[in-house]
Formats: sequence, C-alpha cells, structure tokens
Amino acid sequence: MAPHSSIRHLISPLLQTFRTSLTQNVLPPALLSSSRTFSSTSPTSAKNDKKKSIDPRITLIRYHLQHPATPRPLKFSRMRALRHWTIHRAWMLALRKKLEAEELELQRMYQSMHNAMEELRTMDERDGKTGRDSGRLYRVALEKKGIFGKEGVPVEYARLQTDTPAREAWDHSWTR
Amino acid sequence: MSACQKAARPLTQCLRISQASSQSSRTIRLFTSSSRLSEEAVTETASFTPTPIYDPETVTSSKEERKLMRTGVYPIGSRRRRAAIKTSENIPFEQLPYQCFQEARKILQADREEKLALIAKERLRISNLVATDSATINGGQKVKDVRLDSMRRHLEYLKIQADINDPLIKKRFEDGQGDMTKPIYRYLADRKWREYQRKIIVQRIEQLGIVPDVLPFFEPTAEVRLAFRQKNVQPGEFVDSRISEVPPRLKVQVFDKGERLVTIVVIDSDVPLIEKDDFGSRCHYLAANIPLSPAETSLPLSKATEAQVIHPWLPAFTQKGSPYHRYSVFVLQQEPGKILDTASLKEQIKRDGFSLRRFVDKCKVTPIGMNIFRSIWDEGTAGVMERAGIEGADIEFKRKKVVALKPKQKARGWEARHASDKYKSLRR
Repeated sequence: MAPHSSIRHLISPLLQTFRTSLTQNVLPPALLSSSRTFSSTSPTSAKNDKKKSIDPRITLIRYHLQHPATPRPLKFSRMRALRHWTIHRAWMLALRKKLEAEELELQRMYQSMHNAMEELRTMDERDGKTGRDSGRLYRVALEKKGIFGKEGVPVEYARLQTDTPAREAWDHSWTR
Repeated sequence: MSACQKAARPLTQCLRISQASSQSSRTIRLFTSSSRLSEEAVTETASFTPTPIYDPETVTSSKEERKLMRTGVYPIGSRRRRAAIKTSENIPFEQLPYQCFQEARKILQADREEKLALIAKERLRISNLVATDSATINGGQKVKDVRLDSMRRHLEYLKIQADINDPLIKKRFEDGQGDMTKPIYRYLADRKWREYQRKIIVQRIEQLGIVPDVLPFFEPTAEVRLAFRQKNVQPGEFVDSRISEVPPRLKVQVFDKGERLVTIVVIDSDVPLIEKDDFGSRCHYLAANIPLSPAETSLPLSKATEAQVIHPWLPAFTQKGSPYHRYSVFVLQQEPGKILDTASLKEQIKRDGFSLRRFVDKCKVTPIGMNIFRSIWDEGTAGVMERAGIEGADIEFKRKKVVALKPKQKARGWEARHASDKYKSLRR
C-alpha cells in the first residue's frame, strides 16, 4: 500500500502536466472550460464574480507589500525582539530630547533678541517720558535703507541659516 | 552514561521496589554468571540516582527527551535552541553583550533617574501644599483641592513614565507575572484591556440594549470575566441552562489602586409579565460588601459568605417560547468605607421587579464593570427549573395573533391575471 501511494504521489505532478497537455491538444476550448461538472453556473461568470469581489485597494496593498523592493517584515526571537524594542525606545527618547533641546534653544535666542530690541527701544526714556532721542538706536537698527530697490542687496544673497554649509558655498559666476 | 546502564534503566524501575535499599552491592562481589552481572548493573544504577533529572531547557538527545516526556515534563523549544542554551553561559538579559543594546540601556536608565528625581520633587511639593493652610492660598480650599488633585495625577503619570521603557517589565507583563499592586502593571493591563476586550463589552452593551434597559448610562472601567465551572463565557454568549445552573465564577480586574467593597448583581431583564403583557426584570443574584483589589481578582459567587449574600444564585431559565433572556452581571463599587446593611436589604429588595437603577440610586453604588450572557429554552431547562423548585416549566409562550384591521383585498394586477391553475408553477 505504502510504496504504491508514494509512487503515485511522486509522479502526480507529471501526470497532471501530461493530462493538461493532452486536453489542450485534443479537446475544443468549450469542453475544456466545462471540465467542472458539479457547478451549475458557468465558470466564466464565477471567475468574473471573484474578480469583481476583490477590492482594488487590497490588490494594490498586496502588490506593494509583496514587491521585492519592499523589505520583508522583521522576524525576531522573543529576546531579540525585546532588545530591538529597548533600542527603539531609547532612540525615540533620545530623539525627542534632542528636538526639545533644539526647540528650547530657538526659543531662548528669539527671546534674547526680543529683549535686546526692547532695551534699545526704551533706552533714552527718562522718567517715563520719551525725549527727542529716545529709541533712536532702535529706529536706526530697523532701517531698511539699501536693502530693497535697485542698489539693494540682491535676493540671491538671502539664505536661511542651516546646520551644514550649502552644497555650493559661493556662486562665483553670478552677476547682477 | 555507559550503554549497559542505559539498557538496564527500565529494569531498574521495575526492580527498585523489590530490591532492598540497604543492600551494599559494592562489597559483595562474586565471581560469576551472567545473571549476576545484570544484577550488578542494576544495583549500581539504583544506588547512583534513582531518577536522573533532566532539565527541560537543556535536554538535547532524543533518548533523554523521551525519558523526560515519560515523566510528564515536555522539553522547551527546539532541540537546536536547547543545545544553544546548554553550551552558552547563562547571562541575564540586561547584561547581554550587545553594544547598541547596552548604550540604549544607559540612555533609558539616565531617563529613569531623571524621572525618579522628578517624582521625589513632586512628592515634596504635594506634602508642602498639604501642609499649607488653605486660608493663605489665593482661592481657598477649593483651589487647594484642585491643585492637589492635579499634582497627584501628575505624580501617577511620572510613576508610569519612569517604568514604561523597561524591557523586563514589558516581558514580565507579557508573561502574565505582573504585580498588579504596582501602577505600571495596572497601566499596561488597562491599555491591553482597552485595546480589545473593552471594545467588545461596550459593543454588547450597545447591541443588546443594556444601557437604556438596565441602566441609564454606563462606562465600564473594570474587566469582568465570567465562567461557569470550566466554561469561559464570551460576552453575550448563549449559555446552556444546565451549565448556568451553578453560580458563576467572576474574575474582576480593577485598574485603580486600593482595596474596595463591591456589590455583585445578576439581573435578568427580559422576564415576561403575562398580566401586564410586558417584560420586567428579576434579580438572580445579589451580594454586597465583597472585598476587591487589583491583585485579588477572583470572585467565585458560590464562595460569598452568608453575611454577604442577599439573594443566592437562582439558575438562569427561559420559558418555552419566550425570546432570549439577557443576564447581565454587574459589579458595583460601594462608596469608600461604607458597608451596606445586608440584613435590611434582604427584607427590602425582592427578586421580582428588581430595578438596578433604583438600587444604584438607593445604595449609592457606582457600576464599574459588567459581563453578559444570554439564555434560551433548551432541553435541560425543564430539569433545571424542577431542581431549583421553579414552577412554570410546562408553560409555553406564544405570540398573540394580531388581527389586521384592514379587510383582505381582492387580488389585483399580476396576481389576478395569473390566478388560474395554469400558472401554478409560477406561484410560490
């Protein structure tokens, strides 16, 4: 019993291919499609129904998840997953602390600039009265002469402050 | 272990009882026969170790595994894993020599130190505020209470934050070994409960109409699990009447600290009232003053003492023909330090027509958790009712036939045209 079944098991794929090739060669396509006799509906309609029932969103998700460019999900043992979790938590914590520190530093800088301007504005006040010269430095500091207009600073000079230098530090070929 | 020892082991186990333990086989050595030889082997193994103890963590060979399994203990994990454990030294988790892991642990520990300092500071602040006279605070006693409350909440938050990044705490919680007296484990358990189980019970409350029918409003804050003997009951499940004949076991997990007293009510909210042509409710179980804490969760209803029980368990039964009955098990928290007088409640509260709303208002209890099961007439109900001494097993409810006020119309349209027997096959 056992050897027979094992042999059948072995050659069954072969048989299958043989059979399919036979049917494809001999039978007309109409008979081929009706090889399932137990179903009352036509196979084409069933197939269409099935095709319709699959949500295109699911197809897309599957496509992207099974795409070779998508990394496979991490499969870790229990302890390794726990170590991974530990490192992840520490990383998130460190990142948050860094961002918070940066935010605080920016706040501090803004506040100190604000304080300096306020000091300039109220510099020459005497007894709460504003004299002729009071706030003169403030006005001078905020003057925008020579910035706009034809003789002004070109907008190409304007650049946000960044942590790292620009890829091209100075454009020598630029002319006004 | 030598081959002959291995071979002789089963024999040993047979002979161990018959053999005298005092026999000193090593001293008596005779020159002799094969039978003697086998006996010697037997005695030697017997004196060595009667049953060698294999560690299920480190057993690697298939023979040893089989022997271990014969004792009822099964080896843990794969053979490969066990071999790895056997050959490596047993380093505790926090000392595993992975550089990134160790750096991460340092960061987490530094953060924990910070949080502990904050906790000490917050405690000091609270004690200072408690010590100050409320007259000196701008806003008086009210502002002081509000401030104290918010400070205490912040302290709880800090306590959780100090421990939430600990991998071992996470592991212990996942293994179900968490100590529920500690806030971090309660927090984790609460989070886990809210993820799934609470959603289910809230859905059942809504679907089965518990909220307008039994209570005007209800937000569960404690987990209640229900089981009859060995049978765990999912919320809203139909339970066979023979299973629900015995009082259920409750597992109530509260997520806030401290010991409290609870009242447990099982209420059937679908009792048919024939005289009124309506449905009423009936109390199937009522017990008060049951102590409950986060660490002690098990509440078998059959174990409630005589002083606690107001109405003992009445088996769930549904008469034939009546729609399914909803049996809701409510856990109600009593006011702190207040003990209900069960003796007077026994006289005042009747089983029939029990109203949970009235009970909640009267006894000043707060519902914290609930679970629900349903029951319907089945082949065991008659026996259950007979054993519990309930009458009415022979009654079958039937829907009252409502006679239409409108007279019957003559067939019109398609039906009139196809009324003859010619179209019999088209008729349904």
